[in-house]
Amino acid sequence: MGLSPFRRAGSLSKPAASNSSEPTGRSSSLKNRSVIFGLLAALFLFAIGCTKDGMSTWDAYGPVAQKQLDLFNVLLWVMVAVFFLVEGALLYAIIRYRKRPGQPKPPQIHGNTTLEVTLTIIPTILVLGLGIWSVFTLFDLQDPDPDGPTPLHVNVTAHQWWFEFEYPDAGNGKKIITANELRIPVDRPITLQLESDDVIHSFWVPKLAGKLDMVPTRKNNMWFQADSDKIDDELPVTLYGQCAELCGIAHALMRFRVTVMEQAGFDSWAAAYGPPPTNSAKAKAGQQLFAANCTLCHTIDGPDDPALSASRLTGFLTGGDITPVPAPNLTDLRTRSTLAAGIIDLSETSLRDWLRNPEDIKAGNYMSERAVLYQNGAASLTDEEIDALIGYLLDLP
Amino acid sequence: MTTVDHKRIAILYGVTAFIFLLIGGLEAGVIRMQLASADNDLIGAGRFNEMFTMHATTMVFMVIMPLGVSFFNFVIPLAIGARDVAFPRLNALSFWIFLFGAVLMHMSFVVNQVPDAGWFSYANLTEKPFSPNRGLDFWSISLLVMGVASVAGALNFIVTIINMRAPGMTFMRMPVFVWMTLITSILLVLAFPVITVGLIELTLDRNFGTHFFIPAEGGDPILWQHLFWIFGHPEVYILILPPMGIVSEILPTFSRKPLFGYPFVVFSGIVIGIMGWAVWSHHMFTVGLGPVANSVFTITTMLIAVPTGVKIFNWIGTLWKGAIEFTTPMLFALGFVALFIIGGLSGVSHAVSPSDFQQQDTYYIVAHIHYVLFGGSMFGIFAGAYYWFPKITGRMMDETIGKINFWLIFIGMNLTFFPMHFLGLNGMPRRIYTYSAELGWENLNRIASFGYIVLFVGILVFIYNILKARNSRRVSHDPWDAPGLEWSIASPPPAYNFAEIPQIQGRDHYWIVKEKAEAAGTPITEPEALVDPSSIHMPSPSYWPIFTAVGVTLIGGGLLSHYALSFVGGVIAMMGVIGWSNEPAAAPSDHH
Amino acid sequence: MAHAVEQEYTTTGLNHRKLLMWVFLGSDCLFFASLIATYMVYRGQSLVGPYPNDIIDVPVTTISTFVLLMSSFAMVQALAATNADNRKATINWLLATALLGSIFIGFQIVEFNTFKNEGLTLGGNLFGASFFTLTGFHGAHVTLGIIWLLALAILGMKGRINSKTALDVELCGLYWHFVDIVWIVIFTLLYLIAGFDVGPVAIPGG
Ligand code: HEA
Ligand code: HEA
Ligand code: HEC
Ligand code: CUA
Ligand SMILES: [Cu+2]
Repeated sequence: MGLSPFRRAGSLSKPAASNSSEPTGRSSSLKNRSVIFGLLAALFLFAIGCTKDGMSTWDAYGPVAQKQLDLFNVLLWVMVAVFFLVEGALLYAIIRYRKRPGQPKPPQIHGNTTLEVTLTIIPTILVLGLGIWSVFTLFDLQDPDPDGPTPLHVNVTAHQWWFEFEYPDAGNGKKIITANELRIPVDRPITLQLESDDVIHSFWVPKLAGKLDMVPTRKNNMWFQADSDKIDDELPVTLYGQCAELCGIAHALMRFRVTVMEQAGFDSWAAAYGPPPTNSAKAKAGQQLFAANCTLCHTIDGPDDPALSASRLTGFLTGGDITPVPAPNLTDLRTRSTLAAGIIDLSETSLRDWLRNPEDIKAGNYMSERAVLYQNGAASLTDEEIDALIGYLLDLP
Repeated sequence: MTTVDHKRIAILYGVTAFIFLLIGGLEAGVIRMQLASADNDLIGAGRFNEMFTMHATTMVFMVIMPLGVSFFNFVIPLAIGARDVAFPRLNALSFWIFLFGAVLMHMSFVVNQVPDAGWFSYANLTEKPFSPNRGLDFWSISLLVMGVASVAGALNFIVTIINMRAPGMTFMRMPVFVWMTLITSILLVLAFPVITVGLIELTLDRNFGTHFFIPAEGGDPILWQHLFWIFGHPEVYILILPPMGIVSEILPTFSRKPLFGYPFVVFSGIVIGIMGWAVWSHHMFTVGLGPVANSVFTITTMLIAVPTGVKIFNWIGTLWKGAIEFTTPMLFALGFVALFIIGGLSGVSHAVSPSDFQQQDTYYIVAHIHYVLFGGSMFGIFAGAYYWFPKITGRMMDETIGKINFWLIFIGMNLTFFPMHFLGLNGMPRRIYTYSAELGWENLNRIASFGYIVLFVGILVFIYNILKARNSRRVSHDPWDAPGLEWSIASPPPAYNFAEIPQIQGRDHYWIVKEKAEAAGTPITEPEALVDPSSIHMPSPSYWPIFTAVGVTLIGGGLLSHYALSFVGGVIAMMGVIGWSNEPAAAPSDHH
Repeated sequence: MAHAVEQEYTTTGLNHRKLLMWVFLGSDCLFFASLIATYMVYRGQSLVGPYPNDIIDVPVTTISTFVLLMSSFAMVQALAATNADNRKATINWLLATALLGSIFIGFQIVEFNTFKNEGLTLGGNLFGASFFTLTGFHGAHVTLGIIWLLALAILGMKGRINSKTALDVELCGLYWHFVDIVWIVIFTLLYLIAGFDVGPVAIPGG
């Protein structure tokens, strides 16, 4: 857990620090002391409460998230101020006006219209101000700067329970389709078109931008960008993403990663995109096993054939045991870092576990549900066969 | 079983809803246990989804709403000087339908086909291909059944409040709680038909082959979201306005001062009720409705903070210069104000749509929900329970235990839900049954789960306090020296409530009466004298309500099992209505 | 409901049951509004036929609409007769209202049947689903009204309806007129305005 001060949200800690060091603390009245105590407690809570770990929204890596965070920071300070004013008044009233023995009946005040009107107008102005600012931010964030670098376009399709990424024009005329790992060049706007094949999902990479739902029947558009000057670490950097709308049993395990890389690195990845080579005999055996067992759902040599995709989708929607379903494109699996929609790190062992029994790793997933291999629980493949498949998929010697 | 007395129906509602609170609370416990550590495997994903779905459905529809209705039932006729509600048998019908509907919903556990799509069950996850078992049928049909109960109840209270006020009780003299009940009831009557249509369409989709929410056939799952939230947002005000009313009764009582700015409190309630209809899409900021729609709903939502703020300021104004006595109901009422402010402020930060893009569907929302619903609604209800307990039973709950109760719940509540703000901002999505340790959410989740234990003990203390009160001393009719009309009669009140319908003298009627009596040198120490009950014309008990309720529930139950059963249910309900209308509402009396 | 309770004191002077009926109708308004909204949202969104233009027969439904309107007239007469303590006329007008209502329902049954034969079903397309749900619930309201009217007529024959219990008839009348007005809205929107849609229409932004 990071105890780190707010790096870019620096505005957060500074005013607070100067506030609490003001000499008001010398007053010995209960009220002042409790206010200061409250402030310190709040700061302490903030310090331990806010982290910048994996999915934290406190750490913006790009302009979209940054503007959203800036707005939130202002909002937060307004709210904190209102909080202390109102709760302070409440606390003051509670302490100051508690009943004392023998106290006569208090004055019977019925109201005060001037006060009411003032206390209606002040919040109205405050709220309208914030509201108008939000509206500007909203429109401001709608599209990337038209004068900036040309955006890279990605089509994202959600499936129960994994993400498909398609780069229509990244690979020199070759379409690139991959899954669960989005690679993006740094300092370049990425425009995304979001769709869903089945139920509603939601696409969220907290460090790059707020979420947007992926709704069947709709094509939603969003954009974000990763800025090199906002990223302290050495590129490539991997960010966390997750589906944020309840989409069924494996919703919690529907994650993905975004890898921010230099344009050059991205280009060479795109150029190398293709089926795994078959350098060894083991890999060749794996290739055959794959063709026999896996190609009903998976594709491994580049983009899917649209007709094939369509038939898989129909198979999925019409149900039944042992039917084709849409499945992650495995063409570049060997270059990825995670497995099964970002839930485990990709390694020989984890891939073996996955192929033995996907259900153990991701309950409810459609691979173990629908593939003939897993109809009785664990895979009906032998250990050697699984080894061969791993050798092929990961291009192992 | 055949009672039509509003006070007994209130107790039936209260006890039933409290039992559901325990059930919903235990479900919350399962959720908290599962989330107490990272990569936990205590219960599977499937069970977890069922838990939060049933937790929220129970808490919203079977706890807070009926607890509100329980207070309406007990207090409203007493507070407006009436002998009963306008339609006593309809009132009984509401209760039985509610009870049977709630039981029907929980039958899903018996057959192990539990609803699991969340409390707003977004289409099209709810459609047959994605939710093949009967869980969602249980959900939608039970909600339809309970909806009948809610609307019937609300109709009854609208008529009662408009039409049965004692002479002299003008609208602007009505206690704020009565006002809030009126507004809540109107919201209910208008909001429920909308969800009813949504639920009917869902039921048709799942059982009769329509495609209202099926994209492959041109249906639009977003329509469900609109229908749900057009209902859903007024619904959250249905959940908070009654407790706001309760608090507006309690704060003046224990500050010994009339409510500050009464007309402003009332009108802000009305304004909230109206504005509540114009903000529903703030639950849909991330759906992709476009910047124009998002702007509109951002502004309308933020403006709702203003009338709510007015209420808060007036409550503080009521305390100001008062002589505050820290009884248990007062502690809960003050807790309500303090915690609701927090919930309201986080609400305003959701309203700002660009930052809500980061917050939506995270624990930051879960924190908001529980600050307004637990810190707000539940605290208001606890306050009301402690406040009216002596009126309901004639006995007092123990004040010391009450204070322990308050502090446990207050601390437990903050321990449980405050960390969720950070969890959400640190990126933890809601409705996930597990999370990986590397994301740094574990410690805060531990605190939250620990807080649950404190809450659990707090609720046990409450139960203990109620049970203990059975043999505590009897108290006078007016232990709190309260301003409301209901305190002028004996505790517990006689079946007919008022021997003679009182003439209302002003806003805080009973304070005025007591003061005048004191000035005249004859302070009031006794409740209104009892009279021979047979001299007062009261509605007689009837078994038609429960009979009809069985019929209505069977119609729903039949849809879940055999359609023939629905038919039988229809016939029974019909017979019930016929029997009902042929039965005189009150025993024939001599002097008519 | 057909039983008159003694006149109680009410704050506003409005009768309890009358107030109840008004508020209930307010609630029912929202119910139909939501159904109509569904219909309008799905207007032209059906992916397959039949489409309204293939099916809807405006002239025939105009007749049944007229019949329903006439029933409202009969209802007014029934109430007037009740107030005038004219027992025979009351019963006759009540029965006439019920009869006109039944004719409307008869038309609807025939219409539903024809539509079904022409391929419009609940599960066929969105048009069918939203059309049958909306008009079906309206029909159910009318049917309930007919049962209510008949019950009143029977009470009338037993001599239990007179100017003192006129409220029983008035309430039924309120309900009946409401259901009638809802039909006017449905007829205008579903038949006169959307009745000639020929297939999927592009909805802006959809
Ligand atoms: C009792 C129930 C209740 C109440 C009263 C409220 C009150 C409010 N709610 Fe909340 N809300 C819920 C219950 C409630 N809510 C629930 C259950 C959900 C989640 C549903 C789900 O997804 O499961 C939800 C979700 C929710 C969202 C959607 C978030 C999302 O999913 O992305 C939003 C967004 O705008 C929102 C806003 C508000 C606002 C602005 C108020 C306002 O009414 C609050 C007004 C109060 C104050 C502001 C405090 C007091 C005022 C002052 C002290 C004056 C000064 C203040 C200022 C100048 C700001 N709520
Ligand atoms: C309406 C009011 C309401 C109330 C009162 C509560 C009360 C509580 N809620 Fe709930 N909650 C919601 C409404 C409410 N909630 C809603 C609407 C959601 C959204 C759901 C969704 O996403 O669909 C939600 C979701 C929700 C979540 C998020 C789940 C998720 O997104 O994955 C969590 C997690 O911690 C939670 C926790 C709690 C806890 C710990 C309590 C505690 O306050 C509970 C306190 C109660 C007890 C402690 C009971 C004690 C029991 C006993 C003492 C039993 C004794 C037994 C016998 C005598 C037999 N709630
Ligand atoms: C019936 C369809 C089906 C068959 C057959 C099938 N899979 Fe899968 N596979 C899936 C689905 C669906 C997923 C996505 C699971 C999830 O994450 O929810 C998947 C996921 C995977 C993944 C993880 C991909 C990623 O992006 O993380 C690998 C690796 C994999 N399968 C390998 C195989 C191999 C090797 C075979 C053959 C031995 C096979 N699959 C057979 C449907 C299938
Ligand atoms: Cu996909 Cu949650
Ligand atoms: Cu809302």
